[in-house]
Amino acid sequence: MKKYLLILRILAILLAVLLAWNLRSYALTSLPVDYDEDDYLRAAQEYAIVFRSGDLTGLTQFNYRPEHPPLSKIIYGLSILPASETPLLPDRPTSAGPDQTLPRDQLRNARTAGAVLGTLTTLLVALLNPLAGFFLAIHSWTIKYTAQVMLEALPALTSLLAVLAYRRSVAQNGILRPKLPWLALSATFLGLTAVSKYIYCLVGIAILIDWFLQNRQTGKPDNRQTGTLANWLTIFAWGLLSIIVFFAANPYLWPDPLSRLADSVFYHARYSTGAAEVASANFPLWQPFNWLGMSVPWSQQAFRVLLDPFITLLAAFGLARLWKKERVYVIWLITAILFLLAWPTKWPQYLLVLTVPLSLAAAEGAISLLETIRFSVSKSVPNIRFPVLPQATSTRKSIRSPIRFSALPQAIRSQIRSLPWLLPGLLAFLLLTIFPLLFQLGMSMTSLNAQSLRDGLQGGLVRELWGGLTGQIPAAGQDASPNQVHFIGLRGYGWVFDYVSSIGLPVFTILWTALSVSLQLALGLGAALLLWNQHVAFRKTWQVLFILPWAIPEAIGALMWLNIFAPISGWLSLAVKDFGAQNVPFSFLVGWERNPNQTLIILLLASLWYGFPFLMMAASAGLKMLPTEVFDAAAIDGATPWQTFRHVTWPLLTPLLVPAIIIRAIFAFNQFYLFQMFVQFFGGQQYIPVTLSTFSYYLLYRGSEFGVSAILNIITILMLIGFVILFNRWSKAGEGVTYA
Amino acid sequence: MRKLTFWRQAGRQLALLAIGIFVLFPIYGLLRMAFDGSLKGAATEFHWLPKQFSLQPMLAVLDRPYQSVQFSTILGNSLVVSFSAAILALALGVSLAYAFARFRFPGRQSGLFVILLTALLPPIAFTTPLYILLSWLGIRTTLLALVLVYAAFAMPFCIWNLRAAFQAIPKETEEAAYLDGAGDLATFTYISLPLSLPAIAVAALIAFLTAYSEFTIGWLFVSKPDTVTLAMAIYAIVTTGAAQPWSQLGSLAILMSIPVVVIFLLLQRALLERMMFGAAGD
Repeated sequence: MKKYLLILRILAILLAVLLAWNLRSYALTSLPVDYDEDDYLRAAQEYAIVFRSGDLTGLTQFNYRPEHPPLSKIIYGLSILPASETPLLPDRPTSAGPDQTLPRDQLRNARTAGAVLGTLTTLLVALLNPLAGFFLAIHSWTIKYTAQVMLEALPALTSLLAVLAYRRSVAQNGILRPKLPWLALSATFLGLTAVSKYIYCLVGIAILIDWFLQNRQTGKPDNRQTGTLANWLTIFAWGLLSIIVFFAANPYLWPDPLSRLADSVFYHARYSTGAAEVASANFPLWQPFNWLGMSVPWSQQAFRVLLDPFITLLAAFGLARLWKKERVYVIWLITAILFLLAWPTKWPQYLLVLTVPLSLAAAEGAISLLETIRFSVSKSVPNIRFPVLPQATSTRKSIRSPIRFSALPQAIRSQIRSLPWLLPGLLAFLLLTIFPLLFQLGMSMTSLNAQSLRDGLQGGLVRELWGGLTGQIPAAGQDASPNQVHFIGLRGYGWVFDYVSSIGLPVFTILWTALSVSLQLALGLGAALLLWNQHVAFRKTWQVLFILPWAIPEAIGALMWLNIFAPISGWLSLAVKDFGAQNVPFSFLVGWERNPNQTLIILLLASLWYGFPFLMMAASAGLKMLPTEVFDAAAIDGATPWQTFRHVTWPLLTPLLVPAIIIRAIFAFNQFYLFQMFVQFFGGQQYIPVTLSTFSYYLLYRGSEFGVSAILNIITILMLIGFVILFNRWSKAGEGVTYA
Repeated sequence: MRKLTFWRQAGRQLALLAIGIFVLFPIYGLLRMAFDGSLKGAATEFHWLPKQFSLQPMLAVLDRPYQSVQFSTILGNSLVVSFSAAILALALGVSLAYAFARFRFPGRQSGLFVILLTALLPPIAFTTPLYILLSWLGIRTTLLALVLVYAAFAMPFCIWNLRAAFQAIPKETEEAAYLDGAGDLATFTYISLPLSLPAIAVAALIAFLTAYSEFTIGWLFVSKPDTVTLAMAIYAIVTTGAAQPWSQLGSLAILMSIPVVVIFLLLQRALLERMMFGAAGD
């Protein structure tokens, strides 16, 4: 049995590696030349000249684009040696557009070198977990930036090697006596990473954090003193060694180490804050999440699969599981994400810093998802059998039907008696609620829009749907006649999902939900705690006052905030105009509509105002139910207010708050009126990030794209099903659902 | 509860004051705008108080809030639509709710899940298909269409809440009636319905208020000025930009919100309980 598993595992690894190579080699021939490729190819040409001349001292003099350390470029230089020699590419500014006239065979060689390195990375990941290797193999951003002449392929590999060696050094015997050869290897690879591209050294920080966590856990009181000092020395030596390797493997630094190093490091700080490309891209703070939430949107024909958003989603599910198994990868992922969020330059190639831990997390997520499904299926089996095996009911205590005969006739009688109640209501429910939703599912498989509306209403919808679903009408392409409705099947879902994720809608909706609910919870809970003590003066007055925003219709609330923040006519803009920017607080927010981060702040402020009363009321109701004895006990034990909150109030209150939080989260996910008022105020002239449901309305109202709107609604419904399952599991009402 | 020391009391009051300002500031902004008679379109100068205090915008809206339609017509539309939608949703949903609360039948679990899901869907998820379906029937721009749309929004929510209300009745009460010879219908009419009436009323009220203050989606189902509701008149002013005095926009918003605010403040506990889908803390 074990042998078969091993064979299966080896086959899976081979498959992942073959897939990785296949996708990368396909991409390297079909991807057009991108920004920066000419720069790195020129650097490679310079090194090729050095190698051909045989005088390696040239390595200390050349490093085209010296802001990036040279190792990747040296590798590319070696790779183009077999290719025919051409004159040096012209020296162009970094912001220059892609140069499609690069010498073909040199480009192919250099790209192949990157693809080989990328495939090696996949092999290593597949050895850890074949499924993760599979995810890394198909990740389109990873494919793109390892199959082009970019600097990502080599450091992605060496940074993974640094972590692997580190794990080897501490895997068996804990941190106290790490295996030094492996640790030295880890330092070496970290040094090599630094010579390839600086940003990948984030793994060094991840290793350090993991080291300290491990040290705190395993350092027992008796050997802590000896252990700690030795540990400090060990990790210090590890860092020192990696720095030595960095200098040793970086010939360009040898003639003038410090000033050349300072030049290249400070370049990035200047670039991130001053470069015109960075400013004009105007990416929001959360842009890394947007990149993670989409597949490569450009030249998609170069990729055979585009499933990146799902890999990200699985990774989010798998974090907890991966933390239990291999903590360092989670730390790596989180460190990298935090850095990318904070760093002002947001180019998509930086994603490769974290795609390795991302695919490992995604593999764990896939496994835990499978387990959840298996668990819920096995749990729901008795429910499915329930009507078939009536004796199951006789063991249950809570039979709600008023009469008690023997179990069998009672169950059936109850069913018969329920019919006259069920039928009329069910008819209405089916007609008014379920039918529109099913009809919408049908609409989503057609190309119904303003142009084809007439045909659709005159029977075209039914004709196409019936024909399409029974297989008589083949799904139409995009070139079909626009005045008629056409059956397009499920293909529309792919297009729409690609489009909305390329403009970051699902990511924004999820981010919005998380941020707005957290803020509302913080303020709602804070207000409830402030008002908890009965001796607070004016308690009732404050309470009524704080409930006001909840009582005001959402759209009116949005209007109130627009009245304050509207450009030109809002209070803030008027105040700045009349009194000058330096005399008005918050004047930095003028012009928020042009800055996505500030737009988010304004929207969050409005949603906080509107949403916190609900959570305040829920928290107040919960606080009233808490037993007073525990607080007396905490007071007797001398707990500070913070300790009391952290260890008594919060754990007791959380289970009572969870249903309210989930409801608020669903509202935030569905949030529409707030966004619609802002969008409407600008009359569509200004881009405002919105939720999925707002966009669906926009498509209906402005674009009359009925089919697309229907697709978006179905996607929203699918995402909401997840929420409702959560709600069902957590709420008390849910208990009624499951066990009543 | 311990008494608060002076400093603690003062600190709390300060924190509460900060939240209070956050809550009141936007509301005050709208009030100021509503009573400023000097506005010709959107505001052009900064003032803490109305530049020229006036009830004129309020009176103008009370006369003809939208184009040349009388206030009474528009208010009438609002009341008729919201009231019919709430009653329709309730009447159509009540028997289903009772069935789910009292009887067992195959598919009950999945049915409950579907009802909860549909109650939590965003309104736009129903709007797109209803837009096409009602266009098909040729009644998209009538008041009846508005009633149907709002009833469709409200029905799953009503069913879920009515079920919770029926389930809260002790089953012994119903059993007693049943043993005394009352049938299902009689038990429902004389026992269950009267006992859960308060909860039903609150659910209906929420359905009413949702329809009453909804306007963006309703806007899709309107073509003539005389089927516009009160809330939609606000949207109309926002849509036209600075063509009309924004004081009228403020006045209309306040006029429309006052009844809603009063109801919410009076019935806060009951409303919260319904809005939590029966999952409230107590």
